[in-house]
Amino acid sequence: MKVLKIGDFVIAILSAVLVSLSFLSYGNLSGNPTVHIKSGANEWIYDIVQDRTVSISGPVGSTVIEIIDSRVHVSHSDCSNKVCVAAGWKDSVGEWIICLPNNVFVLIEGDRTPTPGGIDDTAF
Amino acid sequence: MTQHSNKHHPIRIDLVALLAAFTLFLSTIEYLIPKPVPFMRIGLANLPLMIALGILAPKEYALLALLKFLGQGLVTGTIFSYVALFSLGSTTASACTMYFLYRIGKRWVGMVGIGIAGAMASNVVQLALSRYILFGPGMWLIAPPFLTVGFVTAVLLGLFAQQFVNRSVWYKSKVAS
Repeated sequence: MKVLKIGDFVIAILSAVLVSLSFLSYGNLSGNPTVHIKSGANEWIYDIVQDRTVSISGPVGSTVIEIIDSRVHVSHSDCSNKVCVAAGWKDSVGEWIICLPNNVFVLIEGDRTPTPGGIDDTAF
Repeated sequence: MTQHSNKHHPIRIDLVALLAAFTLFLSTIEYLIPKPVPFMRIGLANLPLMIALGILAPKEYALLALLKFLGQGLVTGTIFSYVALFSLGSTTASACTMYFLYRIGKRWVGMVGIGIAGAMASNVVQLALSRYILFGPGMWLIAPPFLTVGFVTAVLLGLFAQQFVNRSVWYKSKVAS
């Protein structure tokens, strides 16, 4: 009995195209990296070159994010799985850390240039 | 055991329960595998849903999908959190996609194609929910690894499911019953 049918190839090719197109989302990332922290409707943007520690409150408690030596990581989270803590350090544009239970999304973006002295504590 | 071709026949609870138990077991295995995003799924628990396509009647299949959702929620401890919404959305999308694809195109599409379509539907729904409910436009940056993992695991699971469907004596007995 055949393992693969013609439709399998068609769906595989269409899906492979979809997966390839998804990589276009990396396309507009350039400029100096900034750390975007999102929680619900709030977003904070920090200059990655300025060391700091940020604590975000979410549905299950706090998520502590550290920016040190142009890298970012989640040092503590009150969620049960700690997947965000295990994600480790991120330093490249396009890299991200998510804590779904606590609704926190950390993303390094490069499409915004920091102002002199750095962007800090900008909430909108 | 009864014939599922009869639309008026009662649901075969024992068969649905057996397949639901497999989804619960595979959800547990999947939970043990580390992932960068909590709701990212390899799709192991989808395997019984794929195998069930040729065995279960529509009502039974819907019940199995519901039990899979509840089982995953229990295993991951997210059943009463908003994270369950992601699981419900992805299970519904993938079960409906696979079911209708099988019903309409099983002559041309095998388990690999059905598995990939189900995985893509599931992942796109999860990304859309994340985009519009939680994290905003930046969420699309997680799409490439998310979709790539989903695609690759769906191909592997599809190949396994096809082999199972082709060779399993148990499966053939259930299809014939």
